[in-house]
Amino acid sequence: MDGADAAEAVLVGETIVAESSKKQEKQPEYITVNIDAPRKYRWSTGKYIGRTYKEAKENKKLVANRCVKCKEVLWPPVQVCGRCKVEAGEDWVELSQTGTVMQYTYLVYPLWDPHYGEKFANPHPNAMILLDGGVYIRHFLEETDAEKLKVGMRVEAVWKEDDERGEGAADVKYFRTIRE
Amino acid sequence: MATTRKLEDQDVYVYEGQIYIPNTYTAGALGTRVLTSLRDKKKIMGIRCPSCNRVYVPPRLTCKDCFSQLDELMEVSDKGTVLTYTVVSEGNTCQPVPSPVIYGIVQLDGADNGFVHMLGGVEAEQFRIGMRVQAVFKEERKGSILDIRYFKPLS
Repeated sequence: MDGADAAEAVLVGETIVAESSKKQEKQPEYITVNIDAPRKYRWSTGKYIGRTYKEAKENKKLVANRCVKCKEVLWPPVQVCGRCKVEAGEDWVELSQTGTVMQYTYLVYPLWDPHYGEKFANPHPNAMILLDGGVYIRHFLEETDAEKLKVGMRVEAVWKEDDERGEGAADVKYFRTIRE
Repeated sequence: MATTRKLEDQDVYVYEGQIYIPNTYTAGALGTRVLTSLRDKKKIMGIRCPSCNRVYVPPRLTCKDCFSQLDELMEVSDKGTVLTYTVVSEGNTCQPVPSPVIYGIVQLDGADNGFVHMLGGVEAEQFRIGMRVQAVFKEERKGSILDIRYFKPLS
């Protein structure tokens, strides 16, 4: 088996082993090792992120808390304000679901989700959106035509179906262009 | 997809996900010879270093001490001595068999280093360091290191 054949055996895996054992006189057999086990993990959202999970799942709302001292809206919600180093408290505010694209990436390279082995949508536009009220959120855009993507375009959140929600901010499917 | 479940009476969710990165690699020229002899002849192979006369199980192509190129494959015994072991009770999707699994390091007769595999056959409490064990092979072997089911105590 020369170098090119060996490389093919690595790619194709067990099928090549079965074929090469048929013609064993000519070619030596090469064994491949397959590792095919998902690693499971779980984490607790905690009290603050848990609130965004609840509001997104049950009420289709994006919520954040405000620092008691500087009144800054903290997204994602946190227990301690990063600027004032004080307990941020339970001053919950609802975020606007419309905003302005401040920056975007138009991703055309095919990517796989490493968690479940599924393909990402392609092309896959991704934007930093300034929600009305002054909070930045990173999310996907519905618009897949690169010509129509512009900094400054107005977008609104589109939510997933009821049975698909339960993953916090990922319950927003994407942001859709507001056509006026 | 990932699932989340809410804890009772609290606004706290548990996020349950996974990372799935399957991969395939070739066992190589030496690894293929070792795994096929395990599969076809139920023989565990070692390799001898010509300059320091040490026998490695599983075989390797380069001596870790003198960097000699090794090619002297030889059969070692399927019996050995337990050098150390540990009992894993907590489950994990990556382990080869369901919990509890006893991982052990066994020095096979004729080898100079320990061989990492599983112990089994009897309850975990009955294993001791220094115990004599023997390899148990699977009936249906696929050319994998798991063609050895585990090492059981020699009575």
